Amino acid sequence: MRIDIENLHVAYAGRTVVAGARLMAAEGEITGLVGPNGSGKSTLLRTVYRHLRPTAGRVLLAGTDLRELTPVQSARHVAALPQERGSDFELSVREVVAMGRTPYKRAFAGEDAIDRDIVARALADVGMAGHAGRRFTALSGGERQRVLLARAFAQNPDVLVLDEPTNHLDIRHQVELLALLRLQRRTTLVSLHDLNAAASVCDRLHVLHGGAVVASGPPREVLTPGLMAEVFGVRAAVIDHPLTGDPLIAFDHRAPAEAELTEAVETGV
Amino acid sequence: MASLLVRPETHPESRSLRAGPLAVVLAVALLAALTAAVARGSTSIPPGEVWSVVWRRLSGEAPRPGTNDLIVWQLRLPRALLAALVGAGLGLVGTAVQALVRNPLADPYLLGISNGASLGAVAAIVLGLGAGGALGLGLSGAAFVGALATFALVWAIARRGGGFAPLRLVLAGVAIGQFLSGFTSYLVLQAGDEQQTHSVLFWLMGSLSGASWPLLAVPAVAVPAAWLCLQARARALNALLMGDETAAGLGVDVTRLRRELFTVTSVLTGVLVAVSGAIAFVALMVPHVCRLVVGGDHRRLLPLSALFGAVLLVVVDIVCRTAMDTQELPVGVVTSLLGAPALLYLLDRRLGSDS
Repeated sequence: MRIDIENLHVAYAGRTVVAGARLMAAEGEITGLVGPNGSGKSTLLRTVYRHLRPTAGRVLLAGTDLRELTPVQSARHVAALPQERGSDFELSVREVVAMGRTPYKRAFAGEDAIDRDIVARALADVGMAGHAGRRFTALSGGERQRVLLARAFAQNPDVLVLDEPTNHLDIRHQVELLALLRLQRRTTLVSLHDLNAAASVCDRLHVLHGGAVVASGPPREVLTPGLMAEVFGVRAAVIDHPLTGDPLIAFDHRAPAEAELTEAVETGV
Repeated sequence: MASLLVRPETHPESRSLRAGPLAVVLAVALLAALTAAVARGSTSIPPGEVWSVVWRRLSGEAPRPGTNDLIVWQLRLPRALLAALVGAGLGLVGTAVQALVRNPLADPYLLGISNGASLGAVAAIVLGLGAGGALGLGLSGAAFVGALATFALVWAIARRGGGFAPLRLVLAGVAIGQFLSGFTSYLVLQAGDEQQTHSVLFWLMGSLSGASWPLLAVPAVAVPAAWLCLQARARALNALLMGDETAAGLGVDVTRLRRELFTVTSVLTGVLVAVSGAIAFVALMVPHVCRLVVGGDHRRLLPLSALFGAVLLVVVDIVCRTAMDTQELPVGVVTSLLGAPALLYLLDRRLGSDS
């Protein structure tokens, strides 16, 4: 199922964070959302998994406005991996993954063989099959993230929404998680801080800046030195990755872009 | 080294398998505790006699005349049943509040509701509303009104920021609770005579001595109703533990769920405090202990917390009635004296296992 976002406006804590965003996540593709801090990535994603309500505009799931669906109905199509880490309430890995079945279960209903099968398969998909009985809070950061991804898989979703899934992971676990996403070939909408990761993993990128989408397209077309300077305020060259051939963004870590510097001087920041 | 300290990671299969037998054990323990509660006291009655009196009453036979029937049916059984109901209710309330504010160490005091109920009751005693029947309906009514008024106030403050953020709820609850306790202390000082002060203090520490068949009616409806309400939302409660966004992504209407939880918690707390005073520690400790044994899944946690709370309070009340020859101990004294060390022990174990 594809996701279309039309003229989305979202206010959060009294402030308009997303203002007129427009983007598309195509069926079976990994669509990346990049942008500086505060550009509205997380807020936009929160409207897709219905934590926040748009103040204007629409989120369309295969052409249907999300607001025409009940929260449970849309949770059967869209699964989310937010940035939350969960708290210590003595839940096992298996119990966390089984939560993915929530939108399919009536009150008082227990788990049936189908649920157990789906949970076991989701755990196997993320390579955590042998860890079902462990305490969730006893896992390492990388393991936790994979378990949470398994929970999203157990939701049997048409669309996966992930908010900075590689945050706080070491490089090995980042690579593992992103490889897993690529392997799944599901319709995926993912925000990423790491532009190089986004360039290798995503089929299409949308760049958010000030709550609006300022550039869209395949990574190579979108991630240009001009955009780096304008949106992220850094100097960068884009070269070919010597191993994969993907675009590789080489940042100049010594000084921000000229435009940002002069702006800072002018405004006295 | 650290790995040596980690608690053995139990398999969830064993945990859920454990829950069934454990529920049976607790149910048997509850029956045994109830029997003991009715049998023990200044006049000892053999357990067989206890059951025969109860059986005669339940089967509609004419009760055998004598003091045993009076003691069992009129005095001790209502009290033992009240202890069980209040204990079960406290276990449920604690579980719900802990999920509501996503903190495994929360209880209704944290939301100020117990304090509000206490203020209502103390005001009734000091202003003489409860006079006549020592713990009459005036007092229970005032406690219930106090609980609901506090609930409304905390709600109004907490929701101003939009939604019911857990931290906001706790801050509003603690602030209001402290304010109301200050008021309560003032009223206690203003109490006219020693007798009033004594009954206020006794009440503030929790007591089941007001038990009677009519007093059982409201909790007998409220506790099972609250349990059903919460049990129907057990999966949503699980999702809430992971965070509001996760719960929303799983199709849970988080704002509505919090509203429902807060309402159930407040009404049930109001009912419990109204019939038994403010009993400390049970609501905090019972779900916490149960979680360590059967894990955090609310589908198992809710019924087991209710059962364990019931057993615990029936046993504690036996201690309260029989520990001293000359007078009864308030329930809260025993729950605090037993609860605090038990909690410290558990925390200590946890710290050891998490490092």
